[in-house]
Amino acid sequence: MKFSSDEIASVLQAEIEQFDSKIDVREVGTVLEVSDGIARVYGLSGVMAGEMVEFPNGAIGLAFNLEENSVGVIILGNYLTIQEGDEVKALGTLLSVPAGDAVIGRVLDPLGNPLDGKGPVQSSVTRPVEIIATGVSERKPVSEPMQTGIKAIDAMTPIGRGQRELIIGDRKTGKTSIAIDAIINQKGTGVKCFYIAIGQKDSAIASIVDVLEKNGAMEFTTIVCAGASAPAPLQYIAPYAGTAMAEYFMFNGGHALVVYDDLSKQATAYRQMSLLMRRPPGREAYPGDVFYCHSRLLERSAKLSDALGGGSITSLPIIETLEGEVSAYIPTNVISITDGQIYLQPDLFFAGIRPAMNAGISVSRVGGAAQTKAMKKVAGGLRLDLAAFRALEAFAQLGTDLDTATQSQLDRGYRMVELLKQPQYRPMSVTDQVLSLFAGTRGYLDDVPIKAVSKWEKDFLEWIHSKHAALINEMNDKRDLNDDITTKVIAAIKEFKSGYKIG
Amino acid sequence: MVEPIKHETVLDPGAEQVGKTYARALIGAAARAGVADDVLGQLDTLVDGYLASSDKLAAAFASPRIDEAEKSRIIDRLFGGEFHPVLINFLKVMGKRDRLGYVAAVRTASESLRDEMLGRVVAEVRTAIPLDDHSRNNVISRLSNTLGKQVRLVETVDPSLIGGMVVRVGDTVFDSSVANQIEKLSRKAKDGFSRELLKRFESFSGSGS
Repeated sequence: MKFSSDEIASVLQAEIEQFDSKIDVREVGTVLEVSDGIARVYGLSGVMAGEMVEFPNGAIGLAFNLEENSVGVIILGNYLTIQEGDEVKALGTLLSVPAGDAVIGRVLDPLGNPLDGKGPVQSSVTRPVEIIATGVSERKPVSEPMQTGIKAIDAMTPIGRGQRELIIGDRKTGKTSIAIDAIINQKGTGVKCFYIAIGQKDSAIASIVDVLEKNGAMEFTTIVCAGASAPAPLQYIAPYAGTAMAEYFMFNGGHALVVYDDLSKQATAYRQMSLLMRRPPGREAYPGDVFYCHSRLLERSAKLSDALGGGSITSLPIIETLEGEVSAYIPTNVISITDGQIYLQPDLFFAGIRPAMNAGISVSRVGGAAQTKAMKKVAGGLRLDLAAFRALEAFAQLGTDLDTATQSQLDRGYRMVELLKQPQYRPMSVTDQVLSLFAGTRGYLDDVPIKAVSKWEKDFLEWIHSKHAALINEMNDKRDLNDDITTKVIAAIKEFKSGYKIG
Repeated sequence: MVEPIKHETVLDPGAEQVGKTYARALIGAAARAGVADDVLGQLDTLVDGYLASSDKLAAAFASPRIDEAEKSRIIDRLFGGEFHPVLINFLKVMGKRDRLGYVAAVRTASESLRDEMLGRVVAEVRTAIPLDDHSRNNVISRLSNTLGKQVRLVETVDPSLIGGMVVRVGDTVFDSSVANQIEKLSRKAKDGFSRELLKRFESFSGSGS
């Protein structure tokens, strides 16, 4: 390719003409020592906590510890070329990241630098990374649903816009898949999605980008990435940076969904920094303010009042447990901060129940208010029924003779479990979910063999979409199951069953 | 003259503290005798001259194996004729308390203490070529006008600045060097160019010569 040298020269000339040479006044310090992403700096006597500083190699740092004789700085970038004796410059501002529409569809590092090779983010809007969350009077209760497109979650632990719902479980139990499904399901809703990858393998992040692109979800998604090889300070600020980008949409009346994958690694990064900074260790060697580290982050997810535009940030923090130990320090902290949790269990996962959600201990404290009426009618009591079924199932394994009532309860339970299974990256619309669950909870599946349940569901939904499109539209509009619609649905199911052959 | 160390990167808060305490005592005693500046000058000679040139003397001062009487004999023999009695006594007191290893810290602290007492500030000036008297006076008068204080200059020559000068007062740096401006200009041109390149890529490629 040929480049026009005249054009290049004219651009450079314009830049040089606009350049005004002023005396550069700056406050400086001297690097005393540098190691593992932190530096100790002498001088910088007027620096504020959390203020940005710049190293000669261009790396940005944050004043983290202000001590009597020195300043502890965390380095957000390459610390390998910083040397003892280097001059550190205070920038006089707090850390901020680019925000606005320009960040959508991009893969960025926590400072807003591109990682996707599409050039720098062209945005005039920036937002501070650390802000104090909105207060009581600026919020209103969660009222709109945030559909994940996953039957088990939308029915039993519904999530509302502005809610914080924790996804917790051991490794390899499908935590990330749930979050990715939720992002894919936001297609066409105008919700902007932010996937914040903390301390993950870069290959895993690349495959997530690939999945999102294939499902057309990258158009409304931003990925903020501090991979496993990124220094601990970058992993630590990544969630705050991603939230700052999402806040731009919330404060402009829009809606955003933020996935923090995962906060256990962020806590580990914070622990590393704190220990290197010689802050005293507490339980599990985490510093004393690790709770605040998560609470101030998750508090920034909010549903704003109408006066402020009614925007929202919904967050799905992810926590990885070890051997199902939810009473460890970080899991209990985050459980107590969030508005509910989705608990994923390995034994369910390996039994083929995917998503492997344990209905008994998964809860959603505020999302019920945001469920559609139709969903409330079909799914009310589903969670408790399933929990009762699990108990009964354990009892039935003892081989006792069961009376018919118990047996039918068990049969219904097996079919509901089967119905709640859902393949990855295949989110469903609310209407489809309501139709499936209606058939299951009202007993229309009791005579379908357990193994054929998912096939039956698939065929039924296909059939009803082609034969009763008017009914589907009505359900989409009303979002309620009134008597009229209920009769029509029952009639449709009966009609389908009369002409359906299993096998 | 010995080139001053460009940066001190060994921070010893303990030594700093000891230095400050002894420096206050020394300046107090010297000021009462009316010889503060003389004594500080001699302290400079001791640290920059004798201690810097003789490792053995520095080791002897710092070593706890040499007892107090021996140390005070050394002080009398070496400096008895040259230094003011206040400084001699001060060194002996330090020797008695096993603090002679901190003489350099005392020097650093007493300099800044003296500057503070006199309302004087130290300005480190880095230039590409050595300052002549005319420009030195200019710099001093401009700085003392802006800062409202008496200014003491510490000069360094650094050819990598290309031109202009860098003045450092405390933690604040006033940088008008050519090197810094070229650096800023190049960064700005690079940013501006990449912005334009993304905005209208076609006009750069294609129809050019």
